[in-house]
Amino acid sequence: MKSCLIVDDSRVVRKVAGRIVQDLQFEVTEAGDGADALKSCRENMPDAILLDWNMPVMNGLDFLRALRREQGGSKPIVVFCSTENDAEHIGEAMRSGANEFIMKPFDADIIHSKFAEVGLV
Amino acid sequence: MDDSTYREIAELALNGSGQHIPPTKSYLIESRLGPILRREQFAGVAELLACIRARPSSPLGGEIVAALTSKTTHFFRERAAFERIVNHVLPMMAPSAPGGKLRIWCAGGSSGQEAYSLAMLIGESENEALKDIQVEILTSDISEKMSARARSGKFGHFDVQKGLSIHRLLSNFSRLDTGEWQVSQDLANRVGVRTHNILQDCSGLGVFDVITCCNVIGGMGSQMRARALVNLARQLSDSGVLVIGKDETATGLVTGLEPSRDLRGAYCREVTPGALTAAA
Repeated sequence: MKSCLIVDDSRVVRKVAGRIVQDLQFEVTEAGDGADALKSCRENMPDAILLDWNMPVMNGLDFLRALRREQGGSKPIVVFCSTENDAEHIGEAMRSGANEFIMKPFDADIIHSKFAEVGLV
Repeated sequence: MDDSTYREIAELALNGSGQHIPPTKSYLIESRLGPILRREQFAGVAELLACIRARPSSPLGGEIVAALTSKTTHFFRERAAFERIVNHVLPMMAPSAPGGKLRIWCAGGSSGQEAYSLAMLIGESENEALKDIQVEILTSDISEKMSARARSGKFGHFDVQKGLSIHRLLSNFSRLDTGEWQVSQDLANRVGVRTHNILQDCSGLGVFDVITCCNVIGGMGSQMRARALVNLARQLSDSGVLVIGKDETATGLVTGLEPSRDLRGAYCREVTPGALTAAA
């Protein structure tokens, strides 16, 4: 079974996204901010990461740049998931190493479609 | 909704668009007609029918038939077939394209996502054979509302996230202040839009090298399906292909329509005049 780390400071978003990703046959772990997520990746590098942008302690963009410098950090497919959905922000996320971008709000069909785009399902 | 109202609406749909609404799907009637009922301030479907009966020539009848059809679509819905059209079929046709021009028609194309998907693939293609070829794409739908949406080239937050990668979104669309996304001028220039019912004569639209009619005939009664297929096939060029949805079949419905050797799940027509007829 593939694994997916869901990084978002909203517990509700983590739960909703978690259920959707579980339905796509992923084993789900959660983190509430970028620092927490980095710690989780160092212990166990996931196959996929669904990543929020604005979070306390360490935001999504800083986490992504740090992740890509970690040992094995190029492996996870990172799908950014954010309300910052203008072309400049999306471009910045993609240049920083994201593989796909979901604009919030999302539903199950969007996550399925985006995971399919990057070959996760 | 009572039984006679259901039957009358189902008949209207079948004759108007070919769509077969079985009793088990009668809930579709109220949900799809809801916006018209509210706009025209009818208390229910029976009232709407009474009004149509009294004024048979009013445009409301046609609008109802169009509203009852499915609008479901998304970008790159028939991805494999579309990629094959652009990567293999069009390049194969290119050397004999009259005047360096090839024509594609997306029949029953709803709000235009199929046509714009093909336009994106053609724009991305680096195939030498297509370099000097002009590919014209027409999308048509029975619903004026869907045609207007296709013509506007504006798509919502949820539409642009289904079937479309973020790279394709950023390369082909720009975000409007309303939060909608507008197709680029380059894509818009490639795509024409018409309101058209495929049960009616299609000759006014001209001849096409590729016709796609995906996920349209599947919901039709079999007689109407054959009629639609004959109408579409008549507009194919001699080497043209007709592509239907991957879960649909035209086999056995039309005499003179043969499975294509170049594109799996697609059909070619026999070029002898008069060869195309609905199978008995």
